[in-house]
Amino acid sequence: MPDVGAAAGAAAQAATISPLALFLQADIVVKVVMLGLLLASIWTWAMIIGFTFTLRRASRQSSAFEADFWKAEDIDRFYEARGKADFPAAKVMAAGVTEWRRSTAQKVIDREGTRDRLSTSMSSTIAAEVDRLSDRLNILATIGSVAPFVGLFGTVWGIMRAFTAIAAEQNSSLAVVAPGIAEALFATAIGLFAAIPAVIAYNRFSHGINRMEAKLTRFADGFYSTLSRELEAQR
Amino acid sequence: MERAEKIGLGVATAGHVLLFGLLSAGFLATPNPLKLKSPPMDVSLVDEVALESMAPRVSMQPPPPSVAPEEGPAEDAAPAPAPVPEPAPVPEPEPAPAPAPAPPPPKPAPPKKDVPKAAPKPKPKPAPEKPASRPKPAPEKPAVKSKPAPTNPKPKAAAPAPAPSKSKATPKADAPARASGEGKAQKPRGSLLGKDFLKGIDTSADAPRTPAPPPAAAMGPAQKAALNNVISNQIYPHLRLPSGADVELLVALLDVKLDRNGRVVGRPEVIDVQGVNDSNRPQVSVYKERAIQAVLQASPFQNLPSEYYDQWKWLKPLRVYARKAR
Repeated sequence: MPDVGAAAGAAAQAATISPLALFLQADIVVKVVMLGLLLASIWTWAMIIGFTFTLRRASRQSSAFEADFWKAEDIDRFYEARGKADFPAAKVMAAGVTEWRRSTAQKVIDREGTRDRLSTSMSSTIAAEVDRLSDRLNILATIGSVAPFVGLFGTVWGIMRAFTAIAAEQNSSLAVVAPGIAEALFATAIGLFAAIPAVIAYNRFSHGINRMEAKLTRFADGFYSTLSRELEAQR
Repeated sequence: MERAEKIGLGVATAGHVLLFGLLSAGFLATPNPLKLKSPPMDVSLVDEVALESMAPRVSMQPPPPSVAPEEGPAEDAAPAPAPVPEPAPVPEPEPAPAPAPAPPPPKPAPPKKDVPKAAPKPKPKPAPEKPASRPKPAPEKPAVKSKPAPTNPKPKAAAPAPAPSKSKATPKADAPARASGEGKAQKPRGSLLGKDFLKGIDTSADAPRTPAPPPAAAMGPAQKAALNNVISNQIYPHLRLPSGADVELLVALLDVKLDRNGRVVGRPEVIDVQGVNDSNRPQVSVYKERAIQAVLQASPFQNLPSEYYDQWKWLKPLRVYARKAR
């Protein structure tokens, strides 16, 4: 009779398979794995939302800034009006203008050296901006590649435990085996749940940042050409 | 942390909580776990089940073609060899094996096996009704003259006769019961057989028609329970209780010996009577007698599995419950 009671209890548990129930009846190791994966999933989605906002805003502001810049007649006045803003294109321009002012402050202007310095300062600013944008992108990559393995670890552990339970009860009916397997597989499910969006987001944001970098480089090249022409005019 | 990241963290957390809340509330619950419930199964305890099928087994093999000339009744020939074997023919057959020395050498090797087979074989024809008692004396006597006894019918049957005796020695030797009980089924092979008898018969194909009982069949608890049922179903209809208080409490423990046909050998003895108390003590002696009578009236017991003969040849104790009387 105790066997029948245990089987009936297991069947009743199996009938109420929900994520919370699966989590609560899991082993401590599986619980830790599940919690970690859940946090990773939350983190992934927080970064996805944050990145989307940041990238879109930076791209939009840079495009608007570029458009306004090419329309501006006086670079100095445009710089005084909008050059202090905190987005990539404005910073690239600020770096270029700052270097220009320093180089042209002297009486004798070394044109080659000024061109080199302008180019270097703007490209290093671009690199710094891209670095800042893609700061935590590697976290997405890590979650995307590691979360399935962590979930698999939880599953293997849970299935090992389920088999131990089978051996202990000496009863291999489906009602006894199923809850343990289901709870173990839940770990893999959470791992995939965290990893799939992370991988997609990582690829998407890598692409977005590459485009941003290309756009900044084009803007810097254009600005550099303008400054270079200005340099030759200053005779 | 930037504002966008804060917003993202908040939205992600809220989204996860919402998703898992929905899952926990059964929003996406699958109906599969219901299938895991195994429906209850009806178990009926069948009491009236015989241990073996009582229907005759239909042989799937066609009977071997009759090649022997059917001249006259075989019974006429059979009695002749039966009485002969004992003393007289000893000198006669000796010259017969001389030209064909093949038969004698195999004889000493399986002396006991051949002997009981050859001896009871002719006998069931004249008297198939009393096989149990007869085969026993047979093996003892021919043991001395083991050679002449089997060879005796052969000189008349000529050369082919030794062939069947050798080929059938093994399947039949360990089954004296079958040889005696089923001896009626065997075709009498007397002296009227022609020389070409068995010419068209595959003797090996003949063997499986009468399979030997499974050797040393183990008796499990199920078989024991079934055996008990078979025995008690035949005893209790004959059990009549003495009248008196608490008679149904009595249990008689009998010592019963059975032969292979289920017949009671000797008189059953009462080993003990259980359930005796003050009120039914006067009925004990009557009940003992009634229990013995019931067993004797039930004799011979039917449907006892012959392959388990070792298990039921000596029933000690055989419990006869007064409360089961009908």
